[in-house]
Amino acid sequence: MSSSLVLERPGRWRVVGISAVLLVLVSPGLPLILTAALSPAEFEGLRPFGAALANSGIVALCVAIVSFLVGLPAGILFELYDFKLRKLLLALVCLPLLVPSFLWGLGWSMLGERLSLIGAFLRASPHAGCTLTFLSAAVGLTTLTSYAATFSLTRSQIDAARLAGGETAVFFESCKNATIPVVLASALAGILTLSDPGPGQLVGLRTGASDVLVSFAAQNDFDLAAIQCLALALLVLVLAMPLSWVAGRRLSAQVLGRQLSGPERATNEKVQPVALGVLGAAVLLLTVAPALGLALPLLRTTEFRRALAELARTGGNTFVYAFGAGFLAAVLGLILTLCVGRDWKRCVVVVALSLAVFSLPPSLSALGALKTASQAPPWLDLLLRSRFTVCALLALRLVPIALFVLLRAWGSTSASWAFAAAVSGVPLGKYVGRVVLPLLLPAAGISILLVALVASAEIGTVLLLAPPGEGTFPLAIFTVMANAPESLVASLCLLYLATAAVLLVAVMQICSRSSAAART
Amino acid sequence: MTRTWRLPRGSWLGLVALLVGCTGGDGAVVVVYTSVDDVFARPIAERFTRETGIEVRLVPDTEETKSTGLLNRLIAEKDRPVADVFWSGDPVRAAILKRKVVSAVYRSPGAKDLPRLFSDPDGHWTGFSCRARVLVFNKNLVPENSPPRSVMDLLDPRFKNRACMANPLFGTTSMHAAALFDVLGEEKAKEFFERFVANGGKIVSSNGEVRRRVASGEFALGVTDTDDANVALQEGKPIGVVFPDTGGMGTLIIPNCAVLISGAPHGENGKRFVDYLLNAETEQTLAKSAAAQIPVRPGVPTPENVTSLDKLEPMEVDYSALAELLENLSRGFLKEWVERNS
Repeated sequence: MSSSLVLERPGRWRVVGISAVLLVLVSPGLPLILTAALSPAEFEGLRPFGAALANSGIVALCVAIVSFLVGLPAGILFELYDFKLRKLLLALVCLPLLVPSFLWGLGWSMLGERLSLIGAFLRASPHAGCTLTFLSAAVGLTTLTSYAATFSLTRSQIDAARLAGGETAVFFESCKNATIPVVLASALAGILTLSDPGPGQLVGLRTGASDVLVSFAAQNDFDLAAIQCLALALLVLVLAMPLSWVAGRRLSAQVLGRQLSGPERATNEKVQPVALGVLGAAVLLLTVAPALGLALPLLRTTEFRRALAELARTGGNTFVYAFGAGFLAAVLGLILTLCVGRDWKRCVVVVALSLAVFSLPPSLSALGALKTASQAPPWLDLLLRSRFTVCALLALRLVPIALFVLLRAWGSTSASWAFAAAVSGVPLGKYVGRVVLPLLLPAAGISILLVALVASAEIGTVLLLAPPGEGTFPLAIFTVMANAPESLVASLCLLYLATAAVLLVAVMQICSRSSAAART
Repeated sequence: MTRTWRLPRGSWLGLVALLVGCTGGDGAVVVVYTSVDDVFARPIAERFTRETGIEVRLVPDTEETKSTGLLNRLIAEKDRPVADVFWSGDPVRAAILKRKVVSAVYRSPGAKDLPRLFSDPDGHWTGFSCRARVLVFNKNLVPENSPPRSVMDLLDPRFKNRACMANPLFGTTSMHAAALFDVLGEEKAKEFFERFVANGGKIVSSNGEVRRRVASGEFALGVTDTDDANVALQEGKPIGVVFPDTGGMGTLIIPNCAVLISGAPHGENGKRFVDYLLNAETEQTLAKSAAAQIPVRPGVPTPENVTSLDKLEPMEVDYSALAELLENLSRGFLKEWVERNS
């Protein structure tokens, strides 16, 4: 009979488990990467790629820094203080998370056509334009992370800080607590920009992702594209190592027995105008302005009936892919979390490698999966050519999101529980079923939702892997946005925003009920 | 330690999603990949289903949005294809599929009255309704009595810093670039691209972007496709449209192409769909749509806003040869030119 101490002690199974999951994560792209790595001539094509990669790096860094600087205080203000329009502003900050980046790019582009000042700005500074487009979702991600991290503070911690130094002390104590998760979230946001060519294309900035796209789409050169992807992943790996070195220690830190009573939201007259002003400005710039750009063509005519028909045709698939991916990503994240345990060195390696996998353009894995499927026997189609394939490929890419949420949840459990269980003779299975899983499942639920939100906006994987006739709503917009009348594109985009808003409100309702329970 | 194990709400949704993912039927269907815009392709597919009872599973893409795309999907699936038919928006992609041994030979009975000029002599693809490359100019910036006449006007000093074209690595602009190399010769074509930049010409992301930015007045002149230009005209934008180089090298014509996929899982249904695409009624429907496609079959009635093919002077190009030329240019001059100037 295995003891519950297995989960707290070193063991070969951890390395085997981590290696197996990481191998699964990279396996779809491996056929292309291996073929490319064996053709040295392709390495010549990397020279001009450097300049594009530098542009990508600048944008990613700007997105990471700005989203950190905005998201960290925003999340704290939302969690700790009550002020007018709080819920509305929170919803508007988070809304871009559910929306593909090309939609915001399109919004800025449409706004730029009508307001020459904005158009001139976007074209005069492509780096800034590109950063601005990516920031909408990035700030949503960091704000949400900061919000969740602050929620994990106890009421007594907040009260102690308030007694010691007033609201300033509360703010800095919360910042200290949320910094590492928000750094990770902003790094994720920055890395996500590396594989997305859309905004760069729209504002005319040559990025690494657009070069990969040229190799794939204009040259049909899979080998060159694979080498470029590999270079991109290695760069991320080098950058991610120091980050995960710092973050890993914190994520795997043990948190001993803590109160379950969460912080209470305060109403402070001095904080209220500051929060309203700062958060209102961020929402205006990052959500309202591009959404306005999308809405302007509707002043002439609308085509909501057609847009609704499109939503009815594709809504089910969007749901299936998003939540299927969320579920699979959470399972893989859970396995990785248990294998990592509390060893911060393992945590560093896993976090860095998963970030590198995260940076790979989805098209690399998707094309690899297509090749594998076309050479596999037909009876494997259920796995390799079905909606499950789309869910699996989306999940493999988005595992890091689930991993971070679950690592943090694991870090907040205490090793002493396992020791206590062992002393009492509780078998491993019972300990996992009665203690570990109930503790990690709320985090798993959050990671499913987060992965589902990001996966629902994914285009590349769905375009290449979705079974015929089984596309998604964002894909439907993507395939008509170039040539369809502006009113139809705008109607589709606004319907997407409205659907996303409804989903968001539903998620917020569920979360607010849970958090209200935790506060009491 | 008396907690019970319950799955959270999110995981139930995930489980349901996965279970649904493992279902799906495969009756009388035809799988059609298309690089023609969904808004134009879907009505044709739906009408085919109504008339034949065969369900069309349409997988749309568009060269405009520059995805990794269906062409790569078709190439990657070559060993055991999923698609039965590729409805291409241009012949270059169809020719690439022929070179990659993805397409099958099929001489449709519906093609007998279509001009051979727009089809593959070996029967791998058959051209029908076409678009043309046109000049669009902003009527508020260019006097109507002196409109541009040739793509060479993009180099005219009167359009200095006021002309644009889409990225020539993608879509129909790439085909246009290859056609210029074919017709003008390498030296003159290279000179054209260098002089375009020297004249302050700008590369924008897509033909749709050319349409939007000329219509908004940011640029006075651009080169795009007839379907883009027609959308702007329908929206009442202040643009003029010119079929360039009449009396010179001619206007580049871009036919749609129907391609039957080699080893198609629903080959017979695929042939029926190709036959359907090639009939006169489809050409007429596409002409009436917002795409304003020009029928290539003589005698098909066209709406007023569609210029018939007999009034145009098509550029004389070998579409099969363009594919090979474009492949070389995309790895050579054009790639280097775009990298230098974007």
